[in-house]
Amino acid sequence: MIESLLAGFEAAFTLVNLAFIAAGVTLGILIGAIPGLGSVTALAILIPITFYMSPLPAIAFLVGVNKGGTSGGAIPAILLNSPGTPEAAASAFDGYPMTQRGEAKRAMKYALYSSVTGDMISDVLLIILVVPFAAVALQFGPLEYTAILIFAFSLLAGISSSSPTKGLIAIFGGVFLSTIGLDPVDSTQRMTFDQVNLYDGLSISAVAIGCLALASVIEQMFDLKRQQSAAAAAGQSQSKGRTALPIGEFFSHWKTIGRSALIGSGVGMLPGLGVTLAAFLSYGAAKRASAEPESFGKGNPQGIIATEAANSAVVGANLVPTIALGVPGNIAAALLIGAFIIHGIVPGPFMMTMHGELIYALFASMLMANGVHLVIGKLGIPIWSLVAKTPKSVILPPVLILCIVGVYLPGQSLFDVGVMLAFAGVGLAMRRTGFPVVCLVIGFLLGGMLETSLRQSLLLHKSDLSAMLGSPIALAFLALTAFVLVRAFRRAPKEAS
Amino acid sequence: MNTLHRRAVLSAAFAAAALLTGFEAAKADYPEKPVTLVIPYKAGGSTETMARVYSKALAKELGANVVVKTRPGAGGAVGASEVAAAKPDGYTLLFAASTSLMWPPLTQKVSYDLESFTYVGQITEYQQAIVAKADAPFNSMDELIEHAKKTNLNFADQSAMSRSYINFIGGQEGVKWTGIPTKGGGEMVPFLLGGKIDFAWSGGIHNRYGDKMKVLASMNAGRLLGSPDVPSVSEKYGVSMPSQAVIVVPKGTPDAVVKKLESAMEAATKDKAFGDLVTNKLKFPVKFVGSEALKADIAKTIEGLKQVIEKTK
Repeated sequence: MIESLLAGFEAAFTLVNLAFIAAGVTLGILIGAIPGLGSVTALAILIPITFYMSPLPAIAFLVGVNKGGTSGGAIPAILLNSPGTPEAAASAFDGYPMTQRGEAKRAMKYALYSSVTGDMISDVLLIILVVPFAAVALQFGPLEYTAILIFAFSLLAGISSSSPTKGLIAIFGGVFLSTIGLDPVDSTQRMTFDQVNLYDGLSISAVAIGCLALASVIEQMFDLKRQQSAAAAAGQSQSKGRTALPIGEFFSHWKTIGRSALIGSGVGMLPGLGVTLAAFLSYGAAKRASAEPESFGKGNPQGIIATEAANSAVVGANLVPTIALGVPGNIAAALLIGAFIIHGIVPGPFMMTMHGELIYALFASMLMANGVHLVIGKLGIPIWSLVAKTPKSVILPPVLILCIVGVYLPGQSLFDVGVMLAFAGVGLAMRRTGFPVVCLVIGFLLGGMLETSLRQSLLLHKSDLSAMLGSPIALAFLALTAFVLVRAFRRAPKEAS
Repeated sequence: MNTLHRRAVLSAAFAAAALLTGFEAAKADYPEKPVTLVIPYKAGGSTETMARVYSKALAKELGANVVVKTRPGAGGAVGASEVAAAKPDGYTLLFAASTSLMWPPLTQKVSYDLESFTYVGQITEYQQAIVAKADAPFNSMDELIEHAKKTNLNFADQSAMSRSYINFIGGQEGVKWTGIPTKGGGEMVPFLLGGKIDFAWSGGIHNRYGDKMKVLASMNAGRLLGSPDVPSVSEKYGVSMPSQAVIVVPKGTPDAVVKKLESAMEAATKDKAFGDLVTNKLKFPVKFVGSEALKADIAKTIEGLKQVIEKTK
């Protein structure tokens, strides 16, 4: 394997390849930083460009885009409290308070270093484990997925607000929203009111960006209006605060880094669970493991590390089911599969044997892309931090426009823009009443999957609950669910007082 | 300060409005903007795989970008509903199994009917089969039936129609099995290889898994390109599933646009990369059928389907 990897480096370490990786990472970060546009949109836009390239630079370029797109979303989350992608939402929890303390640069460095480290760990795991871990992924059927999702929901409810009840209500509000559209089994209409735009359900980016990014932008606009001297308020907090982040200090959080990368890799290996879930599970785990969980949400860098290391770790691990089984781990991986096929590689169990050289060159490119990512990300930080120094009254209107454009472009649908505006209202109302917005978004993101998995399990096991006893994985996750819920509810009254 | 903010917010709103209306450009010669090719199945399956390569060839012939968009769910009915309701201007195409356009309106309440689409052309034929994991304790349809008489088996279907056909065969043999709905080959494969289900309906994705899966029967009228030794269900049960992979546009699309699409499609079908992928990798036959001939095929298929529906009621 080492020889294959070295041969891969030999093939991949060319100036052309490096240039394309750098271009991909840069474009990915830029697109990811725009609210509403994440790595999926970035890939969809940029894949046609690769049609005229030879396979290796093409795929290296797309890998760069995917990596950059996943980390780019953290920038507006940290600077403006308006995450560019749902998976970066948790970065805003602690990143924005750091910006308010004048530590924007430090926060962005934390985000970048965590992204690159998480990505690196996950890539190494991918290279070592791609073959054996495909077998593990196959252990997960509908029953196991149902259990994981229930566990994820209960964990989220516990971490996202001081009141687990409110968290659960928000999650199931999201699950309810996800049932709008055609029934996945019988294709009958549900709550569509004969409105064609609703057949496919509400647009994920419209709901997520409306609730998370736009609601935050609008709230900040209201705050500005209330403050007598806005320019002073925006300028004042900046210059102070630490900007440096020695590498030793970053790695003193090695426990959080390692844990988050492993969570991200684990989630990434299971097709469909997605980047956002990984980010929140990891945030929750970091908060749970911390000696001072109350410091989370107030600018604890570990919150950023947990989120960014995990969401970037998904990127590499997602290629495990893609390469080993031909089953894409998420939409970004599905687009990559499309790109593979266009360049003459058929993903599936024979990819390693038939195209081994190219795969190892791809692995080498991924490792190189991490280095490039670090350099380009670092170059970008002083530029981005100008955004933090600019008065909010200048920054917020363009961000508002970017939200609208970002939601409009992928589906070219004004209906989606309307949905986003409506959910900005929902998001504002939830912020004011103490319901966690992210719970709603994640409930919505994963609700469809919960429904499908649950209905598949019920059919598969003839609605026999004892089937759970036959699946140790499902049992373990359900036991964890009970544990997490009991703990969350016990703790809740203490925290509220 | 206050007015400054108000002005900033207002100008933002105006700029956004200007940007949005800018996208609604005036129409001229077709195609003058990217064409969207909707795939009503999950990414990673045979149709989506083909579409990714075919869209490239089609784009070359049309002289416009072809954007592939997946809208999975309900055996293709979600994507078909969306395209049926799209503007009939030739900018929204649907690439699907003909069955996804016929079975749902014949059996369920969906928002499109048999008349909702204009058939532009057929590109290839799906290689539909009943498949099992390589180490399954049965090697043929007959052995599967024997096995099913002893235990209750689960199978993955990919649409209400594939479920009905397999249940129809079960009914003929007096065995009961349970269909588990999946959203296309991308979801069926891990379930089958992971041993969560006993056998599965496949639209052709099994050809990518070589000796990890075995074919028990062809669900097409004839035998399959990749497994010529395995009999078709039509040989024993007298039924088979229609297998056309077609591109359709919403009813009401101007004839000139349909003509242009048809000739571009025919030329794109001869594309080398596409031919290589379809014949050598997916093991499908490339088989272009034009709009007129396809219309007759489809009419015949609908008659056959109506009989099966009558029998399985």
